[in-house]
Amino acid sequence: MHGEYKTPGGKLVVVDLEVEDKRLARVMVSGDFFLYPEEALEGITAALTGLPIESDEGELARAVARAIPKGTELLGFSPEAIAIAVRRALA
Amino acid sequence: MSKSDSDTADMNVATYPAEADERWKQYDWQVIPGEPVAPPVNLALDEVLTKTVGQGARTPTLRIWRWAAPCIVIGRFQSVQNEVQAENAERLGVQIVRRISGGGAMFIQPENAITWSIHVPPSFVEGLSFPQSYAFLDSWVVSALRELGIDAWYIPLNDITSAGGKIGGAAQARRFGGVLHHTTMAYDMDPTLMLQVLRIGQEKLSDKGLRSADKRVGPLRQQTNLPRDTIIDFLIDRFTALTGGQPGRVTDTEMADAETLVQEKFGTQEWTYLLP
Repeated sequence: MHGEYKTPGGKLVVVDLEVEDKRLARVMVSGDFFLYPEEALEGITAALTGLPIESDEGELARAVARAIPKGTELLGFSPEAIAIAVRRALA
Repeated sequence: MSKSDSDTADMNVATYPAEADERWKQYDWQVIPGEPVAPPVNLALDEVLTKTVGQGARTPTLRIWRWAAPCIVIGRFQSVQNEVQAENAERLGVQIVRRISGGGAMFIQPENAITWSIHVPPSFVEGLSFPQSYAFLDSWVVSALRELGIDAWYIPLNDITSAGGKIGGAAQARRFGGVLHHTTMAYDMDPTLMLQVLRIGQEKLSDKGLRSADKRVGPLRQQTNLPRDTIIDFLIDRFTALTGGQPGRVTDTEMADAETLVQEKFGTQEWTYLLP
């Protein structure tokens, strides 16, 4: 399943995932955004994996935000943008 | 539409503290005119030179990229399947490589792109936000384009644009103790071939108000009627005038390190398909 969301004036976030036992599985977050340090992407992906498919945008965004260490720079996207792309993938 | 006509001009103006401009002259720069190398070698050289500058073994450096073959360079966080029509790329002899910086995919034909890297220590961008550092590190090229008669300006985060369309884009990586800022400008383009090898989805264009990717671009050949090498020489000349930089070269050790990195990273499926 595949969802995309482009932050207006910002960058594209793409989410590819599968659903297993009504939970997010094999999540891949990609796009033309900038993220420093780069390894933060692994934490974001891990935070989404296993969440129930009925999680709403707010819940998804909070899960992503919690997985982002202080001092991480997200340029052109946000936890909310990732959450929208996840919801679109599930729609 | 020129910058001054735009409703969003104020939002789009890239600003950074003016005193930063003094920094260009405060370092001993090297300017490397570059030799054509295979695509993964260019990416490996980026990592090696960022490292040597970060370690203080090399002074700040501008390196012009030359290409020995066509390729698609995808951003650090992009998925190959989502960005590239891999079967077409393979059939057309276009290699897929992944760079260490974020941002979007570029389709490179050796004679159609003008690409360079700037390697600086963190002190060079100290006190600047990330967006400010992008605008700062590309400010000299916007000035150079204006000297060529192009009405060019910078749009945050990372676009060089003009009244005639988008010209180029930049990306940064901050690793290995150094800062890498590389920029590619379109000299010419083959939209038909580009659309055969890249995937450009509707969502990406959703806030552009335009239907096709090629219409957004204003290549330099079209805007200047100058040969590509003339533009590159002019950029080197303006950069040298700004920084007082001296001609430099990639050392044998750096090239050997780059070749090793091609074997271990940039030429491997594992790295290229990091996000499949």
